[in-house]
Amino acid sequence: MSLIKQLWLTVIFILLLAFGGSLFISVTSSRHYIEQEVEIKNRDNANALALTMSQMDKDPVTIGLLLAAQFDTGHYRRIELRDPQGEIIDLREGPEGVTDVPAWFVELVDFEVVPGRAVIQDRWRQYGTLILQSQHSYAYRSLWRSTLALLGWFFLAAVLSLLLAGWIVRTIRQPLRHVVQQAQQIGERRFTTLPAPRTRELREVVMAMNQLSRAVRDMLGEESQKLDLLRRRLQHDSVTGALKRDAFLDQLQTHLESQDSRASGTLALVRLARLAEVNERLGHGDTDALLHVLANRLEQFGKVCGGGVVGRLNGSDFALLLPGSHDLETLRDELGKRFTELRQHNPVPLGLPAALIDYAQGDQRRLLLASLDGALSAAESRGDQSLVIAQGPQRLSLFTSHDEWRCALHEAMSKGISLARYPVLDSEGKLLHFESPSRLRLNSEWQPAGVFMPWISRLELNSQFDLAVIDEAVRDISQRHEPLGINLSAASIQDARFVMELQARLKARPEVAERLWLEIPESLAIHDLARFRSLCQALQPLGCRIGLEHVGAEFTRIADLQDLGLAYLKIDRTLIKEVNKVAEQQTILRGMATLCHSLGILAIGEGVENLDEASMLFELGLDGATGPGIRQHDKPTDC
Amino acid sequence: MPPPSHRTLDSPGRRRFLSTLGSLSLAIGLGLQPSSAQADFSVQRLRQSMQRLYGPRGLSSLEAWFALVERLAGADLRTQLEGVNDFFNRRIRWIDDIHVWGQEDYWATPLEALGRGEGDCEDYSIAKYVTLKELGIPDDQLRMIYVRARIGRSSITQAHMVLGWYQTPSVQPLVLDNLVPTITPAELRTDLDPLFSFNSDGLWAGGSSQSRADPLARLSRWRSVIERMREQGFI
Repeated sequence: MSLIKQLWLTVIFILLLAFGGSLFISVTSSRHYIEQEVEIKNRDNANALALTMSQMDKDPVTIGLLLAAQFDTGHYRRIELRDPQGEIIDLREGPEGVTDVPAWFVELVDFEVVPGRAVIQDRWRQYGTLILQSQHSYAYRSLWRSTLALLGWFFLAAVLSLLLAGWIVRTIRQPLRHVVQQAQQIGERRFTTLPAPRTRELREVVMAMNQLSRAVRDMLGEESQKLDLLRRRLQHDSVTGALKRDAFLDQLQTHLESQDSRASGTLALVRLARLAEVNERLGHGDTDALLHVLANRLEQFGKVCGGGVVGRLNGSDFALLLPGSHDLETLRDELGKRFTELRQHNPVPLGLPAALIDYAQGDQRRLLLASLDGALSAAESRGDQSLVIAQGPQRLSLFTSHDEWRCALHEAMSKGISLARYPVLDSEGKLLHFESPSRLRLNSEWQPAGVFMPWISRLELNSQFDLAVIDEAVRDISQRHEPLGINLSAASIQDARFVMELQARLKARPEVAERLWLEIPESLAIHDLARFRSLCQALQPLGCRIGLEHVGAEFTRIADLQDLGLAYLKIDRTLIKEVNKVAEQQTILRGMATLCHSLGILAIGEGVENLDEASMLFELGLDGATGPGIRQHDKPTDC
Repeated sequence: MPPPSHRTLDSPGRRRFLSTLGSLSLAIGLGLQPSSAQADFSVQRLRQSMQRLYGPRGLSSLEAWFALVERLAGADLRTQLEGVNDFFNRRIRWIDDIHVWGQEDYWATPLEALGRGEGDCEDYSIAKYVTLKELGIPDDQLRMIYVRARIGRSSITQAHMVLGWYQTPSVQPLVLDNLVPTITPAELRTDLDPLFSFNSDGLWAGGSSQSRADPLARLSRWRSVIERMREQGFI
C-alpha cells in the first residue's frame, strides 16, 4: 500500500475512533444522569404527595382531587394509588409523548427509571401506596438532539481535518513525486537537479542527488572540453581560430549536399590585401592579432546571419559560408560596413576586397570557388574597399518568383510528401532507423529536400511543412512498422502551436511515437536552448526519441544537454571523414563515444563514405553509422 | 407488596450490553469500584469499624449486640421485638442530637449509636429497625413513623420518631418507642399522633442487600445512613 494511502486510512480511522468514542460516552453518561435525575424526582414527588395525603381526610373525592391536581399540573406519565392489598384505588395515565425521535433511537437508549413509591398513612394504619412515574420522553428528544448536534460537529470537524490532512498529504506528495522522478532520471543517466523541498528528509535526499548530478556535470564539462581542444587543434587554424582549409571545404561540401535549408545560401571570400607589406609594417605579432580580429568579425557576422562558418583558405584569404542567406546586396553592404569599422580602428591602411556568390544544392564546389576567385581578383584590382557580387553558375531554377514557389509548394504539399529512406545501422548491421529526408513533387518530378527546403524557410512554411512530414511519417510507420528519423526545422520548434499539434498527434498514436526519431541540427538546439528544452519535456513522455544531428563544434555543450534525456547524437561528417586514416580524429571520436555512453546516449556517425570508415567507427565504440557508404544488408564490419 | 424494581433478566441482551458497557466505562472514568454484594452483616468488618471509631468500650457494646442477635435468632416474634426494644432502650441514653453530634439532626447508624451509647429518637428507631431486619422480619412489616408526641399530661408536643411493626399493612401496628419502655399497640398510645411513615422499601435492589443508591442519592438523610451502615458492615 502506498504511503499516502496509509496516511489517509490512519486519518480516517482516528476520526472515526474519536467520533465513535465521544458519541458513545456522551450518550451513555447522559442516559445515566437522566435516569438518576428522573428517579430522584419520582421518589421525592411520591413522598411529597403521600405526605400531603397522609394529613388529609381519606375521602375518595379529596384523594382523587389531590391526585388529579398533582398529575394535571406536573409532568407525569402515570400516578397510581393502590390499597394495602394491591388493588388500584385511583389511576392517572398520560400519553407516551415521544413523537419526533426515531423509534430505533428510543429502543437503543431505553431509559430504565424506577417509579417513586410512598405509603400514605391513615393515622396508624396504612391507607395505600402511591406509585409515581414522571414523564421523561423529553429526555429522549434532548438526547437525540444532542446526538445530532454532535454528529454535525463531527462532520464539520471531519471536513476540516480531512482538508488539513489533504493539504499535508499534498505538501508531502508533490516533492516526493519529484524526488522519485529525479531518482528515475538518474537511473536513466540523466543527471538532473531539483530545488530542495521543504520537508527535511526529502531535502537531504534531493541535496545528495543534486550533488551527484553536479559532480557528473562538472566531469562531463571537463571531458568534453578536452575533446573540443583536440578537435580544434585538428580542424582550426591556430592563429585565427577559423577552420582550416580542408575542414572548411568539407563543410562546404556537406552544405552543398545537404537535405535541408542549409543547401542554399551565400559564400563569401575575403582577402587581406598586401599581407606581406602589412606584416612588415606591423610586425609578426600584431599581424597575427589583426588576422585574429578579422576572423572574429567574420565569425560574428556569421552568427548574426545564423549558422555561418568561417574558414582560412590560405595566409590572406578567408571564406565565409552563410547558409540560408540569399540577399546578396544587403549582405555585401553589411559586410562593407564592418570592414570600414575595422579599417578605422587600425593604424595601417588595410585592403579588404571581397567577393560574394550565392550557392544552391548540387553546385560544384570547384566551380563556385573558381568564380569567387575570379571575382575577388577583379575586386582587388578595383580598389581596397570594393566588394563585388560574382556571377554564380547557371542554374535551372524551377520557378522564377516567390509567388510561383508558394503556389507550387502548397500544391505539392497537398498532393503529399514522400519520405526517402537511408538506413542507420548498428555494428551488427541491424537497423536503428531510417533517415527520412522529405521529397516533394514539383514540376512533376520528385525533388530532394535541398531544392525546396530553402524556399520553405524563405516563405515561412516550416511548421506547416514539418507537420505534413510528421503525418506522412506516422502513416508510414503504422503501415511498415519500421522506425523513421525525421528532421525538424528551427522555425518549427520555436512555434508553440507546432509543438502542441505534434504532441497531440503523438499522444493519439503511442505505438507510432515509439518508432519516431526526431532530430534537430546541433547549432539550432544550442542557439535556442530554452525552446529545445521545452520541446524535449513536451515530447519525451510520449515515447519518441529526440536527438541532435551535425554534432561537432558545439560538443562542449553536451554537459548542458545531459539532463534533457537525448536519445542519440549524429556526429558531423567533418569529424567522420577519413577517420580510418587520421589518428587525432579517432581519439576525438573515441572520447565522444565514451562520453555519450556514460550518459546513455547513442553515438552515430554521419556521412560515412565506405565500409572502412564504418568499421573504424564501430571499433572506436560508436553505436551506428549512416551515409552513402552504408546500405542495408551490407555487413559493415569485416568479421 | 412486590419489590418495585426489575432491572434484570427480562431486558433484551443488547440493552444489557449497552448499559453494562456504559456503566462500566463510566465507572472506570470516575474511578469507582463495583462493591461486592453481601448477604448478611459482616462481623469482622463491624468489629474493625467499631475498634477504629470508638475503641474497646464500643467494642464491648458491639459484642453484646452480637450476643443479642445470636440469642434472638429463631425465637418467636414477640420475644424478638421485646428483646431488641429493651436492648436499645437500655444501652442508649436519650440525648438531643445537637449535644451528641454537634448538629441539629443527625441520623446515626446502630454502630455509631452503640459506640457513643447515646442518641435521640431516630437513632433508636434505626437501630431497632436494622436489628429486627437482621433477625429476619420482612421489610414491609417494619415502618419508621414520624409522630407528634405529647410529653406527660401537658400540652407541650415534640417531634418524635418510633418504629412500628405491622402484622399486615392495613392494621394498627405495635409501637417500639424509647419514651415508653414496653411495646404497646398503637391504639393505646394516645400521646402519639402519627404523621408519616417510611421504610427502606425500594432502596434495596430486588431482595439483595446491595443498595441501588447512586452516590448522588446520599444527599437524602435516610439514604445516607443506609450507605454508612453498608460501609460499616451492616447489611
